[in-house]
Amino acid sequence: MTKASQNLLGSAMVVGGGIAGVQAALDLADTGYFVYMVEKSEAIGGVMSALDKTFPTNDCSMCILSPKLVECGRHPNIEILTLTDVLEVAGEAGNFQVNLRQRARYVDMSKCIACGVCAEKCPRKVPNAYNEGLSQRKAAYVKYPQAVPLKYAIDKDHCIYFEKGKCRACEKFCPAGAINFEDRDMLFQLNVGSIILAPGFKPFDPKIFDTYNYAHYPNVITSMEFERILSPSGPSGGDLVRLSDSKAPERIAWLQCVGSRDMNHCDNSYCSAVCCMYAIKEAVIAKEHSHHPLDATIFYMDMRTSGKDFEKYYNRAKEEQGVRFVRSRVHSIEKAPGTENLLLRYTDESGSLLQEEYDLVVLSVGLETSPEVLELARRMDIQVNDGKFAATSPFAPVSTSRPGIFVCGAFQGPKDIPQSVMEASAAAAETAMLLSTVRGSAISKPEPPQEMDPGEVASPRIGVFVCHCGINIGSVVDVPAVKEYARTLPHVAYVEESLFTCSQDTQNRMKDAIRENSLNRIVVASCSPRTHEPLFQQTIQETGLNKYLFELANIRDQDSWVHHDFPEAATEKAKDLVRMAVAKVALQQPLEEVRLPITQSGLVIGGGVAGMEAALALAEQGYPVTLVEKKDVLGGHGRKLLTAWNGDPIAPYLDSLIQKVESHPKISIRTKSTLNEVTGFVGNFKTTLDVDGRSETVEHGVTILAVGAHSYKPSEYQYGKSDRIFLNLDMDRAIAERQDAVVKAQSAVFIQCVGSREPDRPYCSRVCCSHSIENAIRIKEINPEADVYVLYRDIRTYGLRENIYREAREKGILFIRFDLERKPQVELEGNSLRITVFDPILQQNVVLRLDILTLASAMETRDVEPLAKMFKVPLNPEGFFLEAHMKLRPVDFATEGVYVAGLAHWPKPTEECIAQAKAAASRAATVLTRDFIAAGGVAAFIQKDQCIGCRACLECCPFGAISYLEQEAKCEVNQALCKGCGTCAATCPSEAVSLLGFSHLQLYRQIDEALSA
Amino acid sequence: MSEAFEPKILAFLCNWCSYAGADLAGVSRFQYPPTIRVMRTMCSGRIDPSYILEGLKDGFDAVFVFGCHIGDCHYIDGNVYTSKRMDLTRKLLEISGIGADRMQLRWVSAAEGQQFADFVTQLSAVVRDAGPFPREKYQLQLAALTGALNAPRLRWLLGMDRQLTERGNVYNDKVDEGKYLELLHSAAKEEYEKALILEVLREGPLSVREIASKTALLVYAVSLILNGIERAGLAEFKGYEGSTPKFIRLAP
Repeated sequence: MTKASQNLLGSAMVVGGGIAGVQAALDLADTGYFVYMVEKSEAIGGVMSALDKTFPTNDCSMCILSPKLVECGRHPNIEILTLTDVLEVAGEAGNFQVNLRQRARYVDMSKCIACGVCAEKCPRKVPNAYNEGLSQRKAAYVKYPQAVPLKYAIDKDHCIYFEKGKCRACEKFCPAGAINFEDRDMLFQLNVGSIILAPGFKPFDPKIFDTYNYAHYPNVITSMEFERILSPSGPSGGDLVRLSDSKAPERIAWLQCVGSRDMNHCDNSYCSAVCCMYAIKEAVIAKEHSHHPLDATIFYMDMRTSGKDFEKYYNRAKEEQGVRFVRSRVHSIEKAPGTENLLLRYTDESGSLLQEEYDLVVLSVGLETSPEVLELARRMDIQVNDGKFAATSPFAPVSTSRPGIFVCGAFQGPKDIPQSVMEASAAAAETAMLLSTVRGSAISKPEPPQEMDPGEVASPRIGVFVCHCGINIGSVVDVPAVKEYARTLPHVAYVEESLFTCSQDTQNRMKDAIRENSLNRIVVASCSPRTHEPLFQQTIQETGLNKYLFELANIRDQDSWVHHDFPEAATEKAKDLVRMAVAKVALQQPLEEVRLPITQSGLVIGGGVAGMEAALALAEQGYPVTLVEKKDVLGGHGRKLLTAWNGDPIAPYLDSLIQKVESHPKISIRTKSTLNEVTGFVGNFKTTLDVDGRSETVEHGVTILAVGAHSYKPSEYQYGKSDRIFLNLDMDRAIAERQDAVVKAQSAVFIQCVGSREPDRPYCSRVCCSHSIENAIRIKEINPEADVYVLYRDIRTYGLRENIYREAREKGILFIRFDLERKPQVELEGNSLRITVFDPILQQNVVLRLDILTLASAMETRDVEPLAKMFKVPLNPEGFFLEAHMKLRPVDFATEGVYVAGLAHWPKPTEECIAQAKAAASRAATVLTRDFIAAGGVAAFIQKDQCIGCRACLECCPFGAISYLEQEAKCEVNQALCKGCGTCAATCPSEAVSLLGFSHLQLYRQIDEALSA
Repeated sequence: MSEAFEPKILAFLCNWCSYAGADLAGVSRFQYPPTIRVMRTMCSGRIDPSYILEGLKDGFDAVFVFGCHIGDCHYIDGNVYTSKRMDLTRKLLEISGIGADRMQLRWVSAAEGQQFADFVTQLSAVVRDAGPFPREKYQLQLAALTGALNAPRLRWLLGMDRQLTERGNVYNDKVDEGKYLELLHSAAKEEYEKALILEVLREGPLSVREIASKTALLVYAVSLILNGIERAGLAEFKGYEGSTPKFIRLAP
């Protein structure tokens, strides 16, 4: 443990509100720490909010991000500070004093209702940075429609009032009086125990590539601009058109490595790690969007698709979706004479000079650290590495050079979203480990209000609040008429209209009205339940009403805003929606959330690096952990590895880790142990172990699966037939022991993708390119005279690993590419080896005589099915564990309380295993810090007397929450596992299954009422 | 068709994607006709096919269901079931003569505000062209459809879909998707015809010929189906009227 202040603080600061920052903040807030989230712009969301779709699932980016943003926005333990910059940081780990500056917004956040009138009335148009300047916004604006916080701002640099001293149109028309031209920048200090840096990246600006003419030709655009063009909320509403003439393009080219792997135009020697995948995704989505057959071509050097399911995505793009891939770095882009089209000139692998014409060219720009962030790092005294990312060690991947300050996301190194999310959770775990003794000290837990007696809610007395929302509803819908209509509905005991139902004063009035009129159910007719239901629910809860006795009628987003020209029909619709809501809530009963106790300890399966790091991260947060290992020693594959990719030796790190784990008072180690049986669910698992032949039962609240993977033993390339043929791990040992075979070798060859990227194993094993290159360099260092060859399909030294690829080439190591259809042939000639390989550059076979051959064999899991079955978690077709969501829940399973880390999830190098292990511990801690597991609420319920035992519900439940009781021949729902989707209820032939809060009776009544006027 | 006809449409929206998409249409002020009345469910998987019929019986001219795109479901794969159920519902509407267009299923993501508005606009136009739904005319069919959709056999087939097509039965035999659909559709037709006969038998003792004329089924088909219904104990031979055998309904 690093030196830390004696006076620890239970709060943390997260700098940057992108997806990494959001995840780190949520994890910390959920584990009992108060979080200040510092965001430089007007709203959180970062780059991910501006992306159209995300690879490899093609999920809509905003759809999966938005719930996290809303959660962040309303979390009681998170305070979002927008338009805020960190100035200086004093103090030490555990107790930092941070000076900040918050820039003036000129809009009072407590008053702004985000109606948009200010923007509508603002006469000044400004290029919209959110749309990469491809469209315009006003000087009074909201960053993007789903922004959190959803508050407008005034752009001082472009505001007419600030320029000329008059206008103030926004102020005049703002119905809430929120505009404040007197607003000033504010300097202040906050004290926090730890800081997490998640400032993200800046897309490379390709203007300096003069031969690409980005600055001159409108149809040469960046990938970020293309994301906005594809986005339904972008400048063309999702229509695929080019900018020069709004024509739909028929031929689009993507140019890879613009601002990456390039020391000529820029200093970015590293690979940006995400561009290959995003280019494929953009090409696939563009082909889907296009109304005619679209020719999509990607020009690349190496296709780097090593992440989970990326290779399959690449194969599908190539084989099924018809994306064309050309291996070449394009030399120049010129305008085709007399058109807006573009001519690409390039040389193919065989050396022929070619030219092709395109309608649109997308530059796949790399990721780099912005000058502002570098300046921030300097002010904070954080070291950066050669690539200008935060300097970290492979063994402490989220720790910066300054103790107590952690880093995650693209500032740690170029990376994709799942990797950023993992690191975010890992950074949260580091903070939680540092501050575990003061957990809970900076947050307040409000006492839950006493709930009303069931007798008081038995017969419905409904209060209806109809909202004008300034003029948003009132200008279209006749609000007084809706209110008077509501009065006539059954069970309605009170009605009220208000200008802003969500405002604090109306909330107070609502509470008074409930008390004075003995109301026991509330309907609010206003905006969307997705944004406002929690607010109103909290209000009624404060009066002792069960929060489920509430219904929202959406008469704004889905009525007044979309039927502007039909005020009468909109008013009728509002009445119908109110009547439907009243009918539904009248049938609503208070729902109970069952509180189940939690066994506050963890079980970690697998004693390799990932398992040990996860166990340590949980134990350091104060939770007892049982660590189960099949073998008789800890260490796993780490014992066989020589170094991390950058040359840092593994052994000292591993020894120290084993020592820490073995001596930790909260960790119980069970070696020679396997699992026999698992029962229970999140918070309360009971696992029976076989500990060296003896049975032992462990109770635990969470489980982390870190069972690792194995090297594939090749059946090709003469493997096993000569002691001169190695796998990479054996080569590590041979080098470490300076075995004769290595020391005396005059020629050495490495063959890549042995068993990977083949029909049987259609995935990239991610680590082998770097591993072979490390060993190739070491052989060259032992004997600089030796000839060293690497036979490869694509070199995938992603991120900063690109530097060792460059180093290898500089050292004279030769790289020869081969295709899957033309694999190298290995022959044994007595005691020596001979390889024949087709060289695509020479366009002929090359014969190599060699002394040692190393096969970069695939990584695969072994015997994981029983474990998967025991914990009811899925495996993917390749046999790796399948997480809850490939993008945003990379260590969680859909089954709550079970997490995954390390190679069993996907092949990955040591530092990623460590980050993922810490992330799993962080996610697990969000369960262990709870006082109880709240289950139920909106959950399915089976009325046994109506159940015919057909088990159709059991089959369709995505969460395994339904079980069949053999003796009664009936089904039963486990409320702790049920997530409340209701798929079972819609399957049941006898309507025996219902969903509380969405019962058959309620839904039928709602349908019946919809037309009863 | 009346000139001023503006359809009334019941719309089911799932909370996580399509409801959010509809909200985004609002935030973006994309206009669409005021035809729909929205029911929010957490997942489109919650939507029981009976609700579609309930809507038509109540006087809606059509029912729309919106859900997350396949793969986007917040509850992993609830919408896969929605897709199957609504496909079956449309099939039954087609068999009954009501027409599949009275029920529409579309996927809308939380980012597709424009698409949501477009769907409502386009689909409303389709309903507008089709004219008001004459529910009185189809009372018998609607009742029979309800019976068919609640038949345990269809429910079971729907619920077991993925078990049968993806995981295999107890003998580890898998049914291929096409064969499964064929099975489902033929079961749907049989269950509908069964329900139709049971429905007309509510009027009292009827002969095969009378049943055939009321249901528009062939006489031969009626006697075959009736056999099955009798064996299941849902109807029985009541006696002769003259020389014509008459049957009555036993089902509740």
